Amino acid sequence: MKTQENTASMKRHMGLKAASRISNTIIHIILVVISVIWLIPFICIVIQSFRVQPTGMTRYLFANPDAEMNEGLAIKFGFDNYVNLWKSDFPKWYLNTFIIALVVAVVQTVIVLCMSYTLSRFRFKLRKPMMQFMLILGMFPGMLAMIILYQVLKDIGLTGTNAIPGLILVYCASSGMGYYVSKGFFDTIPKSLDEAARVDGATRAQVLFKIILPLAKPIVIYTVLTAFMGPWGDFVFAKYVSGITPSAYNVAVGLQSWLATTTMTSNYYTMFCAGGVVVAIPVVILFMCLQRYYVEGVTGGAVKG
Amino acid sequence: MASVKLTNVKKVYDNNVVAVHDFNLDIKDKEFVVFVGPSGCGKSTTLRMVAGLEEISGGTVEIDGEVVNDLQPKDRNIAMVFQNYALYPHMTVYDNIAFSLRLKKVPEDVIYAKVTNAAEILGITQYLMRKPRALSGGQRQRVAIGRAMVRDSKVFLMDEPLSNLDAKLRNQMRAEIILLRQKLDTTFIYVTHDQTEAMTLGDRIVIMKDGYIMQVGTPMEVFEKPSNLFVAEFIGAPKMNILKTNLVKEGNRYFVTPCGAKLEVTGEKGKLLADKGVQSGEILLGARPEHILLADGPAENHIPCKLEVKEMMGSELHLHVITEDGTRWIVRVPTIDLNQEQREHLEKNDAELYITFEGKAMHFFDPETEKNLIYGE
Amino acid sequence: MYKKKIVPGVVKTVLGAIIAGISWLVASVLIPKIKKSIVSPYQYGEDGFWIWVVLTAIFVIIGAVLLFMGIREMIQTSQYNKKVVQSGNYIKKTHEKNGAAVFFSNLGKKIAKFFAGIGKGIADIVKTFIHGDWKTKVSYVVMGFGNITRGQILRGILFLLFEIVFIVYMVLPRGGAYWLSMLPSLGKVAPNPHGAYNEVLDQWVATAGDQSFKIMLYGVLTIFFCIAFLYTWYVNIKQNKIAEEILKSGKPLKSGKDDLKSLVDDQFHKTLLALPTVGILIFTVMPIVFMILVAFTNYSSINDGMTNGLFHWVGFENFKTMFSWDVGGVNYSATFGEILLWTLIWAVFATFTNYFLGILVAMAINKKGIHLKKVWRTILIMTIAIPQFISLLYISKMFSLNGLINGFLIDLGIIEPAQAIDFLGGNNPVLARVMVIIINIWIGIPYLMLIATGILMNIPADLYESAKIDGASGWKQFSKITLPYMLFITGPYLLTSFTGNMNNFNVIYLLTGGGPTNPAASGAAGSVGYTDLLITWLFKITQNGSSADGSQYYLASVIGILVFIVVGVISLVVYSVLPSVKNEEDFQ
Repeated sequence: MKTQENTASMKRHMGLKAASRISNTIIHIILVVISVIWLIPFICIVIQSFRVQPTGMTRYLFANPDAEMNEGLAIKFGFDNYVNLWKSDFPKWYLNTFIIALVVAVVQTVIVLCMSYTLSRFRFKLRKPMMQFMLILGMFPGMLAMIILYQVLKDIGLTGTNAIPGLILVYCASSGMGYYVSKGFFDTIPKSLDEAARVDGATRAQVLFKIILPLAKPIVIYTVLTAFMGPWGDFVFAKYVSGITPSAYNVAVGLQSWLATTTMTSNYYTMFCAGGVVVAIPVVILFMCLQRYYVEGVTGGAVKG
Repeated sequence: MASVKLTNVKKVYDNNVVAVHDFNLDIKDKEFVVFVGPSGCGKSTTLRMVAGLEEISGGTVEIDGEVVNDLQPKDRNIAMVFQNYALYPHMTVYDNIAFSLRLKKVPEDVIYAKVTNAAEILGITQYLMRKPRALSGGQRQRVAIGRAMVRDSKVFLMDEPLSNLDAKLRNQMRAEIILLRQKLDTTFIYVTHDQTEAMTLGDRIVIMKDGYIMQVGTPMEVFEKPSNLFVAEFIGAPKMNILKTNLVKEGNRYFVTPCGAKLEVTGEKGKLLADKGVQSGEILLGARPEHILLADGPAENHIPCKLEVKEMMGSELHLHVITEDGTRWIVRVPTIDLNQEQREHLEKNDAELYITFEGKAMHFFDPETEKNLIYGE
Repeated sequence: MYKKKIVPGVVKTVLGAIIAGISWLVASVLIPKIKKSIVSPYQYGEDGFWIWVVLTAIFVIIGAVLLFMGIREMIQTSQYNKKVVQSGNYIKKTHEKNGAAVFFSNLGKKIAKFFAGIGKGIADIVKTFIHGDWKTKVSYVVMGFGNITRGQILRGILFLLFEIVFIVYMVLPRGGAYWLSMLPSLGKVAPNPHGAYNEVLDQWVATAGDQSFKIMLYGVLTIFFCIAFLYTWYVNIKQNKIAEEILKSGKPLKSGKDDLKSLVDDQFHKTLLALPTVGILIFTVMPIVFMILVAFTNYSSINDGMTNGLFHWVGFENFKTMFSWDVGGVNYSATFGEILLWTLIWAVFATFTNYFLGILVAMAINKKGIHLKKVWRTILIMTIAIPQFISLLYISKMFSLNGLINGFLIDLGIIEPAQAIDFLGGNNPVLARVMVIIINIWIGIPYLMLIATGILMNIPADLYESAKIDGASGWKQFSKITLPYMLFITGPYLLTSFTGNMNNFNVIYLLTGGGPTNPAASGAAGSVGYTDLLITWLFKITQNGSSADGSQYYLASVIGILVFIVVGVISLVVYSVLPSVKNEEDFQ
């Protein structure tokens, strides 16, 4: 009993400051652990990308205990993977993806901004039905539509070697569906600005270009960023459309093809790691530079629902 | 500089809510008209229909004799000041004011002259290169007015321009708008929910409620001859005392019987009642707080009551009193008229007071229709 | 005081009754089977069967709860309203939003309105023809004639051009009329890869025949086109009417120049929406319509309607297959039930683990006195920046039999090399499922951390201050302020992320590929695994041509439609009970 009272009074005497210091220390430790967990895969992939022997998967990052008995199993490091990457189809895939991402970033941004500005600012008869209709459309799994689109693309000759324009067409065409986040942002720009400008003599188009777009810079950047990042990760549809033409692969399809079978994996695993690093670095740098806008878009979009 | 004419103007929203019913008004050239009413009465909607920001569901709006129903705001040659100023945040004050002129492709040197001139009139010259967010509320308001000024437009519309300012600044800006009006000499339509602004600024006041016009008239008219109960209560602060009582006609003389007293309707009001042929019956009697008289002690035709709450306003005193039958009154007494003895008396809790009012201060309303028995149409 | 609407209560009651009723019907089929399976478990106790029993029970409970809540709400609302009306001082609320409730109550009205609109339109067309002048009458046949003769050259030419294009398209040999006429049969002569003998080449060459795929595709497009043409024809008539009236009243008509000008002003929305809408119609709506139609055909990779024979309409045959107990030794019904159950479990876990852990991490980082806030945040955000296919593929390799994790465990001496665990593909379905959920946490927390940070910063500080003064502990503050606020703001987001997780193809496909294989369902199309979601199953069906039909696209379509129905029902139910939709004013 007495000790309990003592600790209780001690706690009281320790005061708020000490209590919060203890909890802060615990939180710091947790955060360190979390950071380690989140960073481990990236650290591992970088380390493995420099491993030149063996080229397959191993259970060990640095030293193989079996190597004592068999020299051939020893792990060696070097830049060979990156050099080989350069000699393989990888640069072609990289270029493909980059072209797609660039065009999609521009076109998709224009379409999304058109769509969201209109739905935010104009009140026309079909506005509500249109939004409801798109909501319902979004509930259909897109997976099957891909097969049909693939057949259509095949019919007009935009598959295989011509996969890149085909992919660009499909990515851009349905981008109007992604209007939600930027509409939420436009909704926060006071309508009285539009009205003031219209009274001042601006047409609706002038309102968009002279008033709204300069104010919507964060969301424009967010849209460009997400549109640009999308094609780097698209895998299923790109694989469909490019079919068996390796020169038309994007990075995702290409790198995945290196891990497709066990034999491929044993030869190309470390090159996959190197490829992953090369893909990730520019995207991460771009992302980090524009992080502020991305955060603004994500939080704004979620709060708006 | 132009006249504005609204004929049977109607606004129905998509969800079938009628915001404005059958609005008719003729605004003369260079007139300053104020739309006033509680929020949701349709005053802003009406203004926005004149501006072209709101579609007109029925009737016509004419500016300078031309029907503008189908014209875009930019083609109506109007200028407008918004409640939240609506300054373009990404432009400097100069660019804000110059925006409309640039759209019209006015030469830069003319723009420069106009903008600096307007800035001088408004006293914002030193802020021209700043962005709006670096300005105070009052300065922003001036920029908004400046932006409207340089337009040389036919009609000047203002939508609650002062309601985002604090009380002191509001009084100051109100005076400046009066000055501005003298300088610009154009047609003004001004929307506010504040009756003081309406009274001080307007040549004519349009009082609205639930989409209907309650009364149109000069400030004096709406104050002295409110055509219905709503206008009577809305105009004037503190608001008019209203109580249900009986009007008694005895020959040619009229009496009212508030709280047991019997007061004669003397003077012109009595005559007017007789002219209208008003009969005895229940009525709503109105008397403005400033027209109620206090007596020192019990007197004939004075209503005895107790002091409940006292509000010291400095120049005047607002007394909230309650009569024996539970009716509450507000009485407004100029402080300067009170002698020492009276002041001490008012310090007491539940001080006994005796109130009365003269016939000329009385307003009579029909309890059913709430129309003024004398001035209501 | 407002009168509350009774609609939400009614909606819940109706929904509950429907769900409970349907589930009860299913149960009535199941009950005899349960009885039999107790008597002779070997014959009737198939693996998937019990899943149906559980699923049905769950839905009966959901339905019953909804029914109960709905009735209670109805009673409460009516009592409340009575009080409000009695107290006499209520304000009529003229404009009220209530997601699903409005949807349901309006649906009937809308349908009625739609038909009334069509009726009115037809009446309009007839009236205009009777009362119109000769220019208007000619315009019924030659579109845009009235416009051209009245001086609106631009509009007129556009109308005329559209009509010409339409007619030419329809009458071309392989034009609209052809496709429409083929639509009911989907083709008579099958394409054949070795159909005819070519003497010059000395080999059998493909014959085109009728191509069902193209017939369906162009048939659907032609129907779209016809609807567009009819609408344009109607607009053409209406414009003639308006133009005639304007001219009669002595006013000038809008010129072509005015039309062009208005496209950047009052009609600017049409300009802006034109391109996106066309894109969505062709590349989103058309495939979905096609997909729905495919569910009623036998379209597969063998009968692909392009090179390999025809496909044709089969009515509800595929739905029957999906819901039957035994089709060629495969219990599709059980397979579907099992995958649906796992899909729902996955979606619940994936959504809520991320949600709560994300909030906790965000709160930890934002806590006063925590250093290096930016560093923690940046480390987490990096996972968003790196394309998912890299991180997911890499992690799946880390957890594989020969992966780093096993090496790590061996190094620590936790397991022997021979005991290495195949986390994602081994024959331990529970482990695989748990691992997928855990790895998904790794993927998802950064997003949630970002979102939660934004919202947490917006919670008014005075809420916390007054709670502190009232003596609320840290946990109380979290449960009474932070969580309700977060839930309120992110309600719609939670819903979309739930449905998004139900269709989360990437995580499952890249991590496990659906595995480990589920032997009980291996006979089903597409070889089903334990972590397969409906969406990955659908994808597998389109990939693996295991049956005599090759890839059974028709079954995939059926699954697609069922996914849509499940997602739609969940969205509607959640929407009608969502606090952010229901009590809009609570936190504002």
